Amino acid sequence: MRHIADCPVRLRRGAAFSFCLIAWALGFVCQARADDEAREFFEKQVRPILVARCYACHSGEKASGGLSLETRALWQRGGESGAAIVPGKPDESLLIDAINYRSLEMPPRDKGAKLSEAEIAVLTTWVARGAFDPREEHARIAGMSVEQARHWWSFQSLPPADDRATPAIIDQFIDANLALAGLTADPPADRRTLIRRATYDLTGLPPTAAEVATFVADESPDAYARLIDRLLASPQYGIRWGRHWLDAVRYADTAGENTDRPLPHAWRYRNWVFGAFDRDLPYDEFVHMQLAGDLMRANSSLPQRREGIIATGYLAIARRFGHDIDKDIHLTYEDVIDNVCKVFLGLTGGCARCHDHKYDPITSADYYALYGIFDSTRFSFPGCEPKGQPRDLVPLLTEAEYAVMTAPWKAAVAGREQARQAKIAGDRAKLKRYTDGTCRVIAQAPVGEGQSVPFADPASDALRVVLRKGEVLQLTVFPNANHGADSTLVDWSIEDTTKSTGATAKRWSVTELAADLTRGNPLRTAHEASWCFLDVTDGAALLDEKQDVVSGHAELHAWRLGELPSAFVNSSPQPVDAWTKLPGHSFFVHPGPDRPVGVAWICPYDGEFRIAGSVTDAHPAGLDGVSFELLHCANAEYGAALLEVGTAPREPGLDPGPEPAMPVAFAAVDGTPHDVPMQQRGEPEKPGEVVPRRFLTVFGAQPLPAGAGSGRAELARWITEQPLAARVMVNRIWQGHFGQGLARSLNDFGSRGERPTHPELLGWLSARFVASGYSIKQMHRLIMHSAAYHRSSARAAATVAADPDNRLLARFERRRLSAEEIRDSLLMAAGVLDLQPAEAHPFPPEASWTFTQHNPFSAVYETNKRSAFLMVQRQRRHPFLAQFDGADPNASTPRRETTTVPTQALYFMNDSFFHQQAERFAGRLLNRATTDSRIDAAYSELFQRGPTDLEQQRAEMFVANYPGTPAEAWAGFARTLLASNEFLYVD
Amino acid sequence: MLLRTPTSDDATAWHSPALHRDASCRCGRRGFLRSAVAGSLLFPAMVERLLAESGDQEAAHQPHFPARAKRVIFLFMTGGVSHVDTFDPKPALTRDHGKEIKADHPEIKDRPGYERIFLKRPQWEFAPHGTCGTEVSTLFPHLANCVDELALIRSMHTSHSNHYNATLGMHTGSFAFSRPSIGSWISYGLGSLNRNLPDFVVIAPRQTYAGTQVYASDFLPGSHQGTLVVPGAEPVANVAPRVPGTRQEFELAALRELNDAHAAARESDPLLMARLKSFETAFGMQMAVPDAFDFSRETDATMRGYGLEREQTSGFGWQCLAARRLVERGVRFVELIDTGSSNNWDAHGDMLTHEPLAKNVDQPIAALLLDLKQRSLLDETLVVWTTEFGRTPFNNSADAKGREHHPWAFSSWLAGAGVKRGITFGETDEYGLRAVVEPVHVHDFHATILHLMGFDHERLTYRHAGRDYRLTDVAGHVVRGVLA
Repeated sequence: MRHIADCPVRLRRGAAFSFCLIAWALGFVCQARADDEAREFFEKQVRPILVARCYACHSGEKASGGLSLETRALWQRGGESGAAIVPGKPDESLLIDAINYRSLEMPPRDKGAKLSEAEIAVLTTWVARGAFDPREEHARIAGMSVEQARHWWSFQSLPPADDRATPAIIDQFIDANLALAGLTADPPADRRTLIRRATYDLTGLPPTAAEVATFVADESPDAYARLIDRLLASPQYGIRWGRHWLDAVRYADTAGENTDRPLPHAWRYRNWVFGAFDRDLPYDEFVHMQLAGDLMRANSSLPQRREGIIATGYLAIARRFGHDIDKDIHLTYEDVIDNVCKVFLGLTGGCARCHDHKYDPITSADYYALYGIFDSTRFSFPGCEPKGQPRDLVPLLTEAEYAVMTAPWKAAVAGREQARQAKIAGDRAKLKRYTDGTCRVIAQAPVGEGQSVPFADPASDALRVVLRKGEVLQLTVFPNANHGADSTLVDWSIEDTTKSTGATAKRWSVTELAADLTRGNPLRTAHEASWCFLDVTDGAALLDEKQDVVSGHAELHAWRLGELPSAFVNSSPQPVDAWTKLPGHSFFVHPGPDRPVGVAWICPYDGEFRIAGSVTDAHPAGLDGVSFELLHCANAEYGAALLEVGTAPREPGLDPGPEPAMPVAFAAVDGTPHDVPMQQRGEPEKPGEVVPRRFLTVFGAQPLPAGAGSGRAELARWITEQPLAARVMVNRIWQGHFGQGLARSLNDFGSRGERPTHPELLGWLSARFVASGYSIKQMHRLIMHSAAYHRSSARAAATVAADPDNRLLARFERRRLSAEEIRDSLLMAAGVLDLQPAEAHPFPPEASWTFTQHNPFSAVYETNKRSAFLMVQRQRRHPFLAQFDGADPNASTPRRETTTVPTQALYFMNDSFFHQQAERFAGRLLNRATTDSRIDAAYSELFQRGPTDLEQQRAEMFVANYPGTPAEAWAGFARTLLASNEFLYVD
Repeated sequence: MLLRTPTSDDATAWHSPALHRDASCRCGRRGFLRSAVAGSLLFPAMVERLLAESGDQEAAHQPHFPARAKRVIFLFMTGGVSHVDTFDPKPALTRDHGKEIKADHPEIKDRPGYERIFLKRPQWEFAPHGTCGTEVSTLFPHLANCVDELALIRSMHTSHSNHYNATLGMHTGSFAFSRPSIGSWISYGLGSLNRNLPDFVVIAPRQTYAGTQVYASDFLPGSHQGTLVVPGAEPVANVAPRVPGTRQEFELAALRELNDAHAAARESDPLLMARLKSFETAFGMQMAVPDAFDFSRETDATMRGYGLEREQTSGFGWQCLAARRLVERGVRFVELIDTGSSNNWDAHGDMLTHEPLAKNVDQPIAALLLDLKQRSLLDETLVVWTTEFGRTPFNNSADAKGREHHPWAFSSWLAGAGVKRGITFGETDEYGLRAVVEPVHVHDFHATILHLMGFDHERLTYRHAGRDYRLTDVAGHVVRGVLA
């Protein structure tokens, strides 16, 4: 069928069908027979009967009895009973025989019964006149003939929108079918049942006792309408209905490849879906945004653009496969195509990967036309074992916008820096006052390249000093003329030689500082002495930046001011090979260009001291070395001033923290637009012919306009132009209210799906949906105001017997709470449910990820937020959600099944979470004074009704006779109610 | 403490006479049982027996033909067991050790350092055993004594060389997408023999590759998913009562009353009835499950056979004995996973790591076969031993200590119900590179297991998303040569 796909014919945009044009393109030229009258008779009279009354069984691949009435050739060949029509001879034609209910009875009684006399007359006349039939070609699109596809129920145009959009019309459709079946609708449910039903339905939470009481007592005619409005306005509505959508799009918080790594930004898409339902974002726009929000909002305001990008998270959360996910990207695209087709169009398009669809009109070329669109798109990359961490995350701000966002932070940082510089300048001026004119040089000398120079002759008296407490010895190392920033090894010790100090002389040495230099500056050491590390460019300033790792060496620690000057140590006993070899346990200073560096020792008490030491150029680089000067500053207040300056807060103002990160989304943007070759038998290694990117053949094979990008924006519009898109969504909404769709196969409106029980109703609602501007909330209002929605779920015996599956909606179908509703209701009973939306999951930071296939990511995060915010993994199902039929995170879940298995009962008997919530609930009951009020509160909260007298008595007996303490008895009572069917089922 | 029996007519009685009569009418057995539970009149074992019902209304299918096996024990060795070092002797590999070969192999394609590959000899000696003379290496001295029971398939092959995909394939027949596990298919096909125990139990110390998907029911009804047993003090979650028995019974009796009253006002809703029933089963499971894992009444000889100490609650021996006890109690499908997704048979680095792994499973598996045989359970139990793929008979140097993933050939065996005894089936080429005689793909392997359970693998289907799915996808042939 590829020539269809590539057909250059200009096709009607927006039309549901273009079969004539397609047929024309095929060279299927309508035969211009002379007999125009016969043609007109066939088209106007005969064809409509065949389509309406015969095609349901007698068309397509699996035509009943082997007889297809789609073309002349097919009825001539006939079925198991031979040719169906003998032209000109109605009496010999099996068809005429059957419609008259002679040997066969067609259409059968259970399929709409016998044709009318008028219809029989038309067909008889037609056969008698020679059975003119222009339908000679048997054109096909994959699994359907063109003829069949043209008349396929779900592809039909919608009826004109009905302006009288009253719920009563819904009931007219339903009641008509009930009347045909001879059934009477069950009576309406009581008001308490109704508010519980509507509240769970729209919010996934139970109503409070007060809400029930108010509603039950409110007799005004619009009470129900106001209830629905209130529920639709609740932010909890978006979470409940957004979760339905997440089921369909198989949302998960992990990628699903072999390490199942987290998707830390996927939550933005999740929350966007919840918000979209809350805001009643028109459904067509909702679809457009998920497929191409980045393109459609490219020129909008910042919030709109962000939203557009986040919405394409729909595409990015596609499942990844294998070890190197790029190698299995064709499987990811299959997952995308499968989901796009099922969710938006109700078609099983993923089936066309290896061959044309067997049953539906989707060719393999169609599949690769869509494949090209997604292959032209760049999906955020979640990372995988051989290819590291995530990339291609989509920034939610431009650089300029990001600059605006970080401006306050930058201003705060700059302000802090300014304040710091001002402090440093102030400190210098202050300290200068103490040193000016009070310091004398003890020793000074140049130190040549690579040389080591002692302070003075060790025997010299120059190194013997008498100091008062607070006076300072200060060594300054100068960079000399080349501004050389040399690593300078300093060896410096000071010994107390005061006679009275006794046997053990007190001694201080810079090498002792190697162990913990960065503990402080000033650095207090033994015997109350302190060391300070200084920039002495123009007066002293303390080096105030601590550096625990220097040049990647964890053994090296430093104080510095800016890049330089610095004082640093090798804390290890081993030498370290850095820019030069640094001996073990050594102390260095490093002057900056024009910035001498100083080391000061503050004398702790009055005494006599001997100084020893040397200065060594430890990094000879063929320049001019350094020089030093050792001073005695005899102002006793200088030491105190150094300590005061050094201990004052160094950086005034609040810490602005780390720089705000660019907000990013796990999303999709356009890549390089290109078409892809078909993959024979679905194998990427076997490329076939290249297929241009375009829409599905059955809908017109619309090509991309010249200069198009990936084609996602066009695809999004093509999809919502189809009446099928509205039908599929309306059917989803219907299921959300009634538990099953009008057509039960939500994701399959093709030939293997189930036909709707009320096709006209579905069409009527879909037309309303489109006319309302695709308002989902209006659809809720319409449906929830119908009498059908109000019916009792009591299961009157007659309707159960006649219609066990409740296809005709004579009653309302009772349902079990979903996994999320169970957990949320338990948390609510416990009084701990947090209704605020959650954002990101507490995943470990990306930089720390070392996940492998042998050690994949695996976590369960507890939260008191609503269960729609639980972290769901692809490879390891969330234990609670899995136990109670939660959505499949690997494939679209159109409808939650309800299993009832003993392990669920075990949960209500023995699970620790369940017990905890029950005990909390019991604790809340115990806050009330009397047994009566506790029992009353328990029934009101959990069942939204008071206990009957009998129940009251039994409950009293329960707590009175329970084999345990009163607290245990109330916990047991709480468990009993929380495990009950009344709590777990919605009538 | 006052616990009234349901027969009391006292107006303040816990059980209303009207409700009680109603419940009894609807379901006499359950009504009786309720009184039993509420009044603690019966011993737990009797309650259990009363609760257990044969048959399962939710069973979807009957076997298509008389089954040879009633149940399966599926032994899965995680990581890829080397066939040429265990069950597939290749003298030519020893002879040509170090010889360079060429192979268009998925694991070496475009892999730096693997431009040239060389044959690598097995590191363990092979010898014939039993009366059948099947050769097994010295890695499995105990299993070697059981070869007369085995149908050893030496020509297995699979479709993927990644752990994840191959493991998923061996369990679900799908090498990429989530699909129902083989255990789920069998549970779905047959229903349960014992309503107090799940049909499908997986005993695994840790998760294997592909996580919970290997025992998931996927689109099959949730009641067919594998129940995970983690060796240890509480093997099945939530089975241990959290409150003392008297309190729990008191609560369950009250719950029963609440639910009966609720149901009575709502016609007979099968959903509500099913949930009532599920509590009875759960109550039974609280006893049946610990009983199945309580080895205290096993003899010293049995314990010794499995290599178990008294009180031991872990190890592969524990898993094997638990498997025997579960199949005795009617569990349909028991899978034992020997390790998990790390520290397993994935011997890239050093083949010698096969030694402790083999030692871990050898004696317990042999003991299991013997034990089943002695109890006449082997005649109706199919024992399956397999892995996700083999290991390469070559590496990028002859001195390399390890072997790589090898999907082209590996060995597996079947034993017990309906299977030929003491045979080997299929062959690989002289180096163990390719399955060349009677190759058996994973789909064929699955088709054979289903056949032994009484199913035509092409007819055991489930309609999902508009298509009929089956375990064997669109492939698979029953391996007739191993059928007795």
